[in-house]
Amino acid sequence: MIQRLLPFLTLILLFVGLSIGSPHFLTSTNLSSVVRQTAVINIMALGMTLVIITSGIDLSVGAILAMGGIAGTMTLEHGAPIFVGVLAGIGAGLFWGFVNGFLITRLKIAPFIVTLGTLGIIRGLTLISTNGLPVHQIPQGFSYLGEGSLLFVPFVLWLLLGCALAMHVVLEHTKLGRYAFAIGSNPEAAYYAGIPVAFHTTAVYAICGMLTGLAGMIEASRLMTGQPTAGQGYELQAIAAVVIGGGSLRGGEGSVLGTLVGAFIMGLLSNGSDLLGVSPYVQQAIIGAVIILAVTVDELRKRKAV
Amino acid sequence: MLLELRAIEKRFGGVRALKAGNLNVEAGEVHLLMGENGAGKSTLMKIVAGLIQRDGGEMIWKGQPVNFQRPADASAMGIAMVHQESLLAPHLTIAENIFLGRELQSGFGLVNRKKMFEVAARLIEEHHFPLKAEWPVQRLSPAGKQLVEICRAIHCGSSLLIFDEPTSSLSDSETDEVFKIVRTLRDRKMGVIYITHRLDELRAVGDRVTVLRDGETVHTEPMAGITTDQIIHYMVGREVSSIYHREPVAPGEEMLAVKNLSSGKLLKKISFNLRAGEIVGLGGLIGAGRTELCRALFGVDPIDSGEVIVRGKPVQIRSPREAVAAGMALIPEDRGKAGLARELPIAFNVTMASMDDVSKMGILDKPAENEKTKGAITRLRIKCENGTQLAGRLSGGNQQKVVISKWLARGANIFLFDEPTRGIDVGAKVEVFEVMDELARSGAAILMVSSEMPELLQVADRILVMRQGKITGELPGGCTQQEIMRLAAFQTVTEELQ
Repeated sequence: MIQRLLPFLTLILLFVGLSIGSPHFLTSTNLSSVVRQTAVINIMALGMTLVIITSGIDLSVGAILAMGGIAGTMTLEHGAPIFVGVLAGIGAGLFWGFVNGFLITRLKIAPFIVTLGTLGIIRGLTLISTNGLPVHQIPQGFSYLGEGSLLFVPFVLWLLLGCALAMHVVLEHTKLGRYAFAIGSNPEAAYYAGIPVAFHTTAVYAICGMLTGLAGMIEASRLMTGQPTAGQGYELQAIAAVVIGGGSLRGGEGSVLGTLVGAFIMGLLSNGSDLLGVSPYVQQAIIGAVIILAVTVDELRKRKAV
Repeated sequence: MLLELRAIEKRFGGVRALKAGNLNVEAGEVHLLMGENGAGKSTLMKIVAGLIQRDGGEMIWKGQPVNFQRPADASAMGIAMVHQESLLAPHLTIAENIFLGRELQSGFGLVNRKKMFEVAARLIEEHHFPLKAEWPVQRLSPAGKQLVEICRAIHCGSSLLIFDEPTSSLSDSETDEVFKIVRTLRDRKMGVIYITHRLDELRAVGDRVTVLRDGETVHTEPMAGITTDQIIHYMVGREVSSIYHREPVAPGEEMLAVKNLSSGKLLKKISFNLRAGEIVGLGGLIGAGRTELCRALFGVDPIDSGEVIVRGKPVQIRSPREAVAAGMALIPEDRGKAGLARELPIAFNVTMASMDDVSKMGILDKPAENEKTKGAITRLRIKCENGTQLAGRLSGGNQQKVVISKWLARGANIFLFDEPTRGIDVGAKVEVFEVMDELARSGAAILMVSSEMPELLQVADRILVMRQGKITGELPGGCTQQEIMRLAAFQTVTEELQ
């Protein structure tokens, strides 16, 4: 039980440690900046949780994030209302997620390979459509999405909580969530039980893409530009958040709470290192070590249990 | 005397696979090793080949007591085995496989590929095998792979070659090919041990036969002096424990009719029917096509021709989904692989095939799911704390009940049980039989595949027997093991005439 709670304890310990270690940590400016920084990865990681539960993986989310941001900001550039722009970004993410799912289930190619391929394709298309240049002509009001506050709390935190709650409901209270667990735990048994495996797998990747599209719009709003090069390497951070939170790449395991904790552990590590003056080079090594440590502890727990 | 085995014993956990394995093999003879599924034939031969170690008994090789710790020890002494499942490296060429583990060197630790290919080509040429040294092994047929294994054995100068059911996956012409080779090896004064279920086709090559039963050698005799019926008698003398007896119910309407079903390379023109309240046994030897029949009926493998009629209506079954929709259920041979999601709670497994009953518009109705799970746990007497326990933590028998409960929850009424008692203990077996009986009494039709003949005799109302992808006959519930074995292992008179 203690091992199961370890990610939570780590998060609390980090929080307390940083509160004592740096006078700048427990300030509203710093905390809201942690939330804003983490929210993008976190929302992507929620989609990734669902994908990983089916024993899949999506390496293209970083590219989808950029594509979503570009699609949304370009729509805004053409004078569309802000919510239409945001929907365009989400829609682009949904579309590319669907393409991933479609290729994985129709061509029966491993998700790793398909999304490695679409990672290149999507990033390439994003650069082509912008000529490699950022999109700047964005209405001022758009910054509210990433930088605004509602009831004294960053607006993105509300968005994140909303997405997390929705994903929790999907995982625990819907047929789709249940099938995701079944497919990830034993794909053959799921197929033998008459579950439409291809349909639900496609839906899972589409949802992951959709959330990534939203994350792309948040990122664009924070930078107030549509960056065709945004999100590089984010896929690995999203995967790391899921894995630190107890998700298993073998499928059948993962939870929203775990992923939230995983993402915030990474957020605090990076924020704390900045505050304590730890070099960014060391930061990378620390986060890498934490990933291995978290998975090792989780593996030990499971081995003991069975 | 080439090889002499005296009272070989072997345990796997609590199971005694071999109690007293005795065998003598002379140079220049083909010695058949026969017995039912699970009699201990393969175990005994794996001990000879050094793949596993014996727990007791003596092994004498060319007059010297020997002890093999690993396969290399046995092959160094000149003992080679051609396995049922090919143990070759599929991506490498035939030549590379022949020399695998003892590559020819050309100095500096480099492999002399040219020399290896030359030697391999000569070897193949010498035996007129239809092979080429540079072909990759993965493109070969099962027979081709066996020829490669034989090349390997001959090349290391073996004086004893063991064949473990080599013909079970071969076509007739490929089988002839293997026989021809076996005869050549005998003429060269090599010893050959040949494990098989199929005595009929082997009278031509076999010189002597040894029969194993329940891990003990029960008889050895020259082939010339023994009749087929006598061999069957020695093979099946297993005791039928009276742990369970089923009272048959009067059968009701016809639930499933299969007419002239053919599928894949194996299944040919299968016809039978199942009626409500019936448990029909499906006997046969491993590789006869029983699992393949279940898979085809359940839409896992495509049906090439023939008709499937469910409750009077012809149906097209192209996927498990369509089979499930038609009211069918498959309890697969390998529980862990296709039946149970081990890392998920019991409740998830119970409702996996009947999600629509416990959800509305995609949203789960948890109380309904709990209700269903509790019902299943009570009805099948699944021993567990509650429905949230992980399915993989249960005992084998209870895991099997969870798999069955998935189909009960779905309301299936045609059940295909493929080896339902494999890997579960005696007490749990009886419970599984009771569940099957209860299903039949409540109007389901059941097809039960089992390699355990006593089980078929205890549970089934009538027994279908398969051999080489065909149904070779139907027997009443009160038949004998001999009758089943005759249909399972030997060519019938009419088949010979064809």
